[in-house]
Amino acid sequence: MYWRYLAERLIIFAATVAISVTVVFFAPRMVPGDPLGAVSLKLAQVGGNLGGKALIEEYTRRFGLDKSPAEQYVAYLRQLAQGDLGYSIAVFPTTVGDLVKQAIPWSVGLLLVTTLISWTLGSIIGGIVGWGGSRSRVLQALFPVALVLYTIPYYILAIVLVFLLAFLWPVFPLSGAYSPGNPPTLSPAFILDMLRHAILPALSIVLVSLGWWFLSMRSLIVSVKGEDFITWAEAKGLPPSRIFWAYAFRNALLPQATGLALSLGQIVSGALVTETIFGYPGLGYLIFNSIKGLDFPVIQGSILLVIVSVALVNLILDLSYPLLDPRIRYGGAGR
Amino acid sequence: MASAVPLDELTGRPAIQSPGVVHVLLSNRKFVIGVSVVVALLLLALIGGQLLGPRALRSGAFLPKQGLGGGGALLLGSTALGQSILAQLFQALPNSMLVGLMAATIGTTVGATLGLLSGYFGGKVDAVLRVLNDVFLAVPSLLFLILIASLVRGFGVPAMAVTIGCFAWAWPARAVRAQVLSLKERPFVQVGLLSGLSGIEIVWGELMPHLLPWLGANFVNAFIAAILAESGLSILGLGPQQEMTLGMMIYWALNYGALLQNIWWWWATPVLMLITLFLSLYLVHLGLDEVSNPRLRGT
Repeated sequence: MYWRYLAERLIIFAATVAISVTVVFFAPRMVPGDPLGAVSLKLAQVGGNLGGKALIEEYTRRFGLDKSPAEQYVAYLRQLAQGDLGYSIAVFPTTVGDLVKQAIPWSVGLLLVTTLISWTLGSIIGGIVGWGGSRSRVLQALFPVALVLYTIPYYILAIVLVFLLAFLWPVFPLSGAYSPGNPPTLSPAFILDMLRHAILPALSIVLVSLGWWFLSMRSLIVSVKGEDFITWAEAKGLPPSRIFWAYAFRNALLPQATGLALSLGQIVSGALVTETIFGYPGLGYLIFNSIKGLDFPVIQGSILLVIVSVALVNLILDLSYPLLDPRIRYGGAGR
Repeated sequence: MASAVPLDELTGRPAIQSPGVVHVLLSNRKFVIGVSVVVALLLLALIGGQLLGPRALRSGAFLPKQGLGGGGALLLGSTALGQSILAQLFQALPNSMLVGLMAATIGTTVGATLGLLSGYFGGKVDAVLRVLNDVFLAVPSLLFLILIASLVRGFGVPAMAVTIGCFAWAWPARAVRAQVLSLKERPFVQVGLLSGLSGIEIVWGELMPHLLPWLGANFVNAFIAAILAESGLSILGLGPQQEMTLGMMIYWALNYGALLQNIWWWWATPVLMLITLFLSLYLVHLGLDEVSNPRLRGT
């Protein structure tokens, strides 16, 4: 059975990559007009003719626009297979690959840390409230708060936080990931500066996802509470704290961990809009700047890269689930 | 005939139909509050937009950067370009809701149809649809939307709605398929088959009534997700350039530095409106959930 499951997951992964590559390749060609229109427009905007003609010729050659679409597609696949995502138009000699490589650590770092923090906090608080919430007014009041936080999108909270904590009461920097003129090194001063810049974006993500983890853990604990083994533990006369942590919490943690794994799969895609609002130099900000600068190869390349990495992470998670939770069945048809 | 199967299993009438769906919905407080807020806001915006007229939207119609509490169109102040923020809001709200409505309709209808087909008929169609479905679930749809929107610059509101809707079918399709798989083994479907109903009659007459409550809740979810996608795309600069949506209001406010110039009412208006909209839609969703799943009531 495991082999069938494995094959199915691999087919889905391959289909995801194939469809994304095809869409990313053909989408620009379905739009009426000159595929290099963006390039010439950008050049006209910059106002420079310096090497502009050569660049257009280079692109005509690179895209093979004199050849048939099928030939172009094969050539594109060959480039991709070599890990070549092309050149940026806005900062010409830089390759798309380099730009993406600079951006990814910021996105992944921010989202990995915030996801882990909010998951841990949300699970613990949600567990406690679900266990004894009906006895305390304060704990009960947390439920609507979590509901509101969960409904608000990240970037809406981000705007409010920038206004409150960077403008009105300027405790944190307005934007960026580190102060300009403070080159990235491993010195304590730089790390401190980096953390100071990361706090606001992180806070906006943590608060919103905290709401979600809280709500899901709360309902998991509520349903575990009615299980027979809890009654049994109570009948044995175990101390309440031990019943909570060792019996209820541990059992509710497994589905919660599955949720964590699922959301880790989305980490590469980052918090695109949040990064834009904070000017945080991750993938979202890169894509935002490329949209502004009509830098189409960068948009194309980074989107493709994100989609493929999300699919890859999902594949790895899918394959490791059955190892984590033996209750998962491998059957395909009944899902 | 003493049967182990309860009668309503054989006739296939979902339990919620007995006291009347409308009555049950209207007695659900969350649903009523949510729907009332959404409808009231929409009516206010439509009527208010008519009263203010298109002139108030023009830049330079008023003095720039006027604060809150002015008379008439200046109730919510003006932008750095001298447009009335109230007039922008009155245009943005119906537009954002139109995006939500169209995208949710497309996503839910297409998703439900594909899910019904692949769940009920199975076979090769099912195999292909299931792979396609998993692909769409695996891919972060905002990225594809960014790709498309950055190519088709100057998206209008309807075009944007259709595009968002095209990425909203995967989740309903999967859920409907799973439900159909379990429903089709139930006795009332077997009874229908034995009494000679055709496949289409069973799908529409026997399965649909059971799926409708779930589809309603999913519709509201898709509605929220579409407005979310719209505002996300707009803040990235990919929204409709000629029309106002709530996302575009935020985009222009941020673009003209409303945060740094302390014109807070400019960005706070769409931000508060989005939060209100999301909260009331979420209440509608919770209400529908409780109606379709009575066990949730009172938790």
